[in-house]
Amino acid sequence: MHIDKIPFVIVVVAFVLVTCTGFAAARWRPADDPMRLSEWGLGGRRFGTFVSWFLLGGDVYTAYAFIAVPALVYATGAAGFYALSYTIMIFPIMFIFGPRLWSIARARGYVSPGEFVRGRYGSQGLGLAVAATGILATMPYIALQLVGTESVLTVMGVGTNSSNVFVRDLPLIIAFGVTSAYTYLAGLRALALIAFVKDALIYLTVIVAFLYIPAKLGGWGHVFAAASAHLNTVNPATGKAYGSVVVMPAGEWAYATLALGSALALFVYPHAATGMLAAKRRDVIRHNAAMLPAYTLVLGMLALFGYLARAVPAVNAGVKANGGNSQLSVPLLFEHMFPGWFAGIGYSAIIIGALVPAAVMSIAAANLFTRTIYRELVRPYATPAQETQVARLVSLLMKVGALAFALAFNRTFSINLQLLGGIWILQTFPAVVIGLYTRWFHRYALITGWAVAMVYGTVQAYRTPGGGQLHFGGSSAPVFGHVVYIAVPALILNVVVSALFTVVFRAVGARDGYDVTRPSDYTIDPHPDAVAVPQPRAVSPATNLPAGHGAQHRATGPSRSDPR
Amino acid sequence: MTQYAHSRKSPAIWIAVTVLLAIAILGTLWIPLYARSAPRLGPFPFFYWFQLIWVPMTAVLCRICYLLLHGRPDGPADTGSKQPLCISTRFPS
Repeated sequence: MHIDKIPFVIVVVAFVLVTCTGFAAARWRPADDPMRLSEWGLGGRRFGTFVSWFLLGGDVYTAYAFIAVPALVYATGAAGFYALSYTIMIFPIMFIFGPRLWSIARARGYVSPGEFVRGRYGSQGLGLAVAATGILATMPYIALQLVGTESVLTVMGVGTNSSNVFVRDLPLIIAFGVTSAYTYLAGLRALALIAFVKDALIYLTVIVAFLYIPAKLGGWGHVFAAASAHLNTVNPATGKAYGSVVVMPAGEWAYATLALGSALALFVYPHAATGMLAAKRRDVIRHNAAMLPAYTLVLGMLALFGYLARAVPAVNAGVKANGGNSQLSVPLLFEHMFPGWFAGIGYSAIIIGALVPAAVMSIAAANLFTRTIYRELVRPYATPAQETQVARLVSLLMKVGALAFALAFNRTFSINLQLLGGIWILQTFPAVVIGLYTRWFHRYALITGWAVAMVYGTVQAYRTPGGGQLHFGGSSAPVFGHVVYIAVPALILNVVVSALFTVVFRAVGARDGYDVTRPSDYTIDPHPDAVAVPQPRAVSPATNLPAGHGAQHRATGPSRSDPR
Repeated sequence: MTQYAHSRKSPAIWIAVTVLLAIAILGTLWIPLYARSAPRLGPFPFFYWFQLIWVPMTAVLCRICYLLLHGRPDGPADTGSKQPLCISTRFPS
């Protein structure tokens, strides 16, 4: 393989620029005490509408949008467009549930959904279940970012032909290693700052590509004709057509459940919570719900890139030469359609657009781990500095876990990594989101529902063959005669089991946990400069106390004293 | 000072917000609504341009809901005070 010098130089320059920004971010809006978890992990909860827009956009639009979705559209056509429907539904959902989650987190100093569940239900077990699920589900999502970056590097010809995995993927490891370094140092601040650079590159690339490439290919009419010709061809492997330009009635259930399931799942992904909780005011989330669809429009254009790639014979040849890896379709499209310098900008956009969300995700998982696992099980009286140090280390470990997922799973359709994560994370929806409104569900019932649904979802995914592997080959399976996204029936099962067992546990008189939250906590909207609740340092000994202690806590109010 | 976003909005406003957000979500969730080629917009089959148009539609619907609930777009969060509502006056409550 040879490396084109111009795109390579541009990518390196962009990467160095972003890296400098990342390290400089430690000095941006400096915190009084950078070793607090809400400083490192939430940027001090001080981001207004403008920064939050970039940060939330960066959460949502990742290598998923750049590589995975166009690859699916390239290979199967309209079925891949569920991603557009999914990213349309996210924002009304965020509009509905986001503010309550923000308020309760602000009121109680929570940095992750796991802590909220633990405090709301007075259940350490439920908090652990939510945290473990969040960490597990985030790993394949980060793995998707690794696969996306790798596909760009492959097209650029970067990488050695060594048979040693480590040597072969060295550029990828360097890129993620450097990103991890400034994430370690500056936390969410670094990523909020880099999100500007990233999004400028993304918008530039996508808009130019969307206007320039179709004209060069002879117009959209020709593009749709080429796509249609391919999709109507019979796939010798399955005996059916490759796909269709419009969703067929048989595919409607899968389309709708994939869209709805993904949208509900995104809301409970730890990194989405991180993006929302970092907002400075309650209404920032709702204000942004009306402006974030700009990213959805970009995702729609990117999905159409799958068809553009199909209309370029050189891209089809390139994909075939690489073992039918359709994830190369967008990078190859840039290579063949753009002059070298602009291809370099496009590659940079994809690479940075994968590195930043991967880092936000690892911060989110680290927040979850630190507050819900480390402080609960390992060191209940951890100081803020100890917490931050643990979170920093965990953010590094998350990348390693993601690498394992990337290596273990079939990479033909990396979108499966995201969908698999979605099946798992959606099972925390009843505890987190329903918990924002009601405590009707019993804590043990929620754990039971979660466990049943996790087992069901994992087994169903395990039994789904696809992409040349027997297990975990897809995320949709037939249920009652319709092929649906496994996450949705699993969620329904989860809610039904939780409801039934709630009745049972109440009937046998199982005790409810102590709820540390108060109704007013869910609508609180303090001034950004107001001193928030002192971070409750030792929640574990305090939360499960009998009612007498609870009353004492109520009396001391939100600024309750440290139990020590 | 701690403020609360308790809005003493009339039920009519909450119903309007619920309906608007439901429209935003159901618009692309109900597939038979748009799973067809005709009418085309230029070379784009209906399936594609409908969904692409639904993106700004969602933004507008969320914006209307925001104004219904929070009054002035860039003002501080609604504290249930006497802030004038930009759009709510158009909806009889």
